[in-house]
Amino acid sequence: MTRINSRVLKVASGLGIASMLFASTISTAATSAAAAAPSWCGPKKITMALTDGFGGNSWRLVTTASAQAEAAKCPSVKKLYYADGQGNTSKAISDIKSFVAKGVNAMVVFPDAGKAILPALRAAYKAGVVTVPYRVFPGGVAGKDYTAFIGTPFAQAGQNWANWALKALPKGGNVLFLSGPAGNSQGTDEAAGFWGVLKNHPEFKPIGVQPFEVTNWDPALAQQVLTADIAANPKIDLILSDFGPTLVGALTAAQKTGWKIPAIAASDGNVLGCFWKSMQSVDAFPMMTVSTQNDHARLAIDYAVAKATGGKLPGTVYPSLPFEDSISGKPKPVQCASNLPGDVYLSAQLSGAAQAALGKK
Amino acid sequence: MTVIESSTSLDAGVMKKSSRIQVSRGMKTMIAALVVLFLFCKIFVPDSTSKGAVLGMLPFAAVLAIIALGQTLVIQQGGIDLSVAGSVSLAVVYVTRLPQQHDSQLWKAVLVALGSAVVVGVINGILISRIGINAIVATLGVSSLEYAVIMAISQGSPRRTTNLLNHIAANLTLGIPNSAIFAVLATIMVTLFLKRSVSGRRFEAVGANSHAGFAAGLKVKRHQISAYICAQILYCLAGILLAGILTQPTAYQGDSLVFPSVTVVVLGGTSLLGGRGFPAASAVAALFLQQLNQMVLTLNVPFGVRTLVTAIALLVGIALYTIRWELVRERFSALNSRRSVGAAHV
Repeated sequence: MTRINSRVLKVASGLGIASMLFASTISTAATSAAAAAPSWCGPKKITMALTDGFGGNSWRLVTTASAQAEAAKCPSVKKLYYADGQGNTSKAISDIKSFVAKGVNAMVVFPDAGKAILPALRAAYKAGVVTVPYRVFPGGVAGKDYTAFIGTPFAQAGQNWANWALKALPKGGNVLFLSGPAGNSQGTDEAAGFWGVLKNHPEFKPIGVQPFEVTNWDPALAQQVLTADIAANPKIDLILSDFGPTLVGALTAAQKTGWKIPAIAASDGNVLGCFWKSMQSVDAFPMMTVSTQNDHARLAIDYAVAKATGGKLPGTVYPSLPFEDSISGKPKPVQCASNLPGDVYLSAQLSGAAQAALGKK
Repeated sequence: MTVIESSTSLDAGVMKKSSRIQVSRGMKTMIAALVVLFLFCKIFVPDSTSKGAVLGMLPFAAVLAIIALGQTLVIQQGGIDLSVAGSVSLAVVYVTRLPQQHDSQLWKAVLVALGSAVVVGVINGILISRIGINAIVATLGVSSLEYAVIMAISQGSPRRTTNLLNHIAANLTLGIPNSAIFAVLATIMVTLFLKRSVSGRRFEAVGANSHAGFAAGLKVKRHQISAYICAQILYCLAGILLAGILTQPTAYQGDSLVFPSVTVVVLGGTSLLGGRGFPAASAVAALFLQQLNQMVLTLNVPFGVRTLVTAIALLVGIALYTIRWELVRERFSALNSRRSVGAAHV
């Protein structure tokens, strides 16, 4: 038996290694961006850096590629470095410091760790680097701790959802909101924006944990949370989600048990759009999405480049814009590129095909 | 010659004992706990036992149960496997990323995932059993390596599950989620292997006392390595099912499963110090923990309280099996009698 054991071990590991070799069918594809110098692109030649607190998902991949494509529009940008903090705050800080030491002229930072990044931003700013944090507020003051913060009013997404809800559900209804980690400022602001618009509409009632159900933007947890909420609330009329693609698994599973999908207001994603299309003949439901804002990074790049090269400064606020509406079809009807992967964001400037090619790198 | 004889007599002894159907203390405890929990839910949180809630809970319980089977095999050999996170995530990425939503490519992806699981198991086993690296350190390191592979293959973004996998994992057969059927089959297979086969009994004997196993002529290290390989194959199966259940998974799907996997093994009565393993009890404990989570979710309690549930379950599990309650009772009664003697003096 022991002899058999050893043989089994050898055969098994051989098989394993052989099948691992199967795996590597990785091809590369390059993206390109044509350029006719835009107004934010000044004459001074610069090198710049882009740092991410965490770069390991499709949304970040598209966002980073969008930023790189934007920088490529300006011939004055001689070099754009990129570093991924990989979810490690101390690495994110050391990335910023090492780019300062490298002598970049400008830096765009996604400060996932918030205030923990502020000292590094301040040090970069004091060293004379144009320092532009975006999306996550790192605390501090523009002009003192960094050059400018390029934010987005998350409350606006909530307002967009609420304005649509008033049209889609004229009689009101029970509203369930699924967001990310507990206490995240994006979800908190979106909830405030949503209920702010509906404060004089008592026919809309919040259900579930307030201000939002915690899902960590994890589809497994979202599915479990939705299962529990459906069990506890026989009547759900509207589901809000600030990461629409995580809803798809949960909705599919719930629908299989005979539950009817209610109105959905979320952020866009190809998988969600295609799910909506596939349900038209089975269990049609109204849906509206706001842009998932991959192009927020473009505005941050524009600002940093303008400041460092002497171009025309753009604004510092990236708006939340409606993207799809299954009822009015405006700005767009629900989009589905069935030939492209589910984790492509059709609201982004970068084409769906270019995004899909990115993921194959 | 003497070695062969003693090994045979050991097997005979173990087999004779196992020919009776024995229900472990952990199994009795978990079945009782499960019945109490469902009754409690039925009375106080009826929503959490509705058909929809149970059908929604079972697939996740099934995934956790299959992982728990693997973790039980490792823990009963005195080890621990924290590479659950990387292994489950890697399986998810393989079976979504490689087929790119083409059903015809799914079987190749499953083969790659299984092959990769065997390689990871061999690496874990060799690092821990042959080279002697601490199990926590080795499996954490291997998990990081798996994440490096995940990033290389997927850049952190797996694809949508193929329709075929979604049907296999998430559909119902006779009203029961297919994933739950997979979990029951896996539990039966692992239990039969451990309790009814000669090599399974040897495996248990090595776990119960590796020195005695060595003295009896058993290849201790080989059995320990095989525990890590079998565990990885089970994690892989769980990852494949999870990918099918979730439709659009992330590349980090295994992260939240490490702690629960150890918790349910402990709840099922397998000692963290190694020894006898109770895979069926671990699987029942997975169902218990998932229903407990479902109940807490249905109660709409704040997120902070939710995260405490698993931690408290682990503490209760350890307390149930490691504290010698008869000693505690004796101490208390001794203390009380001393107090009453003291009071009489005053």
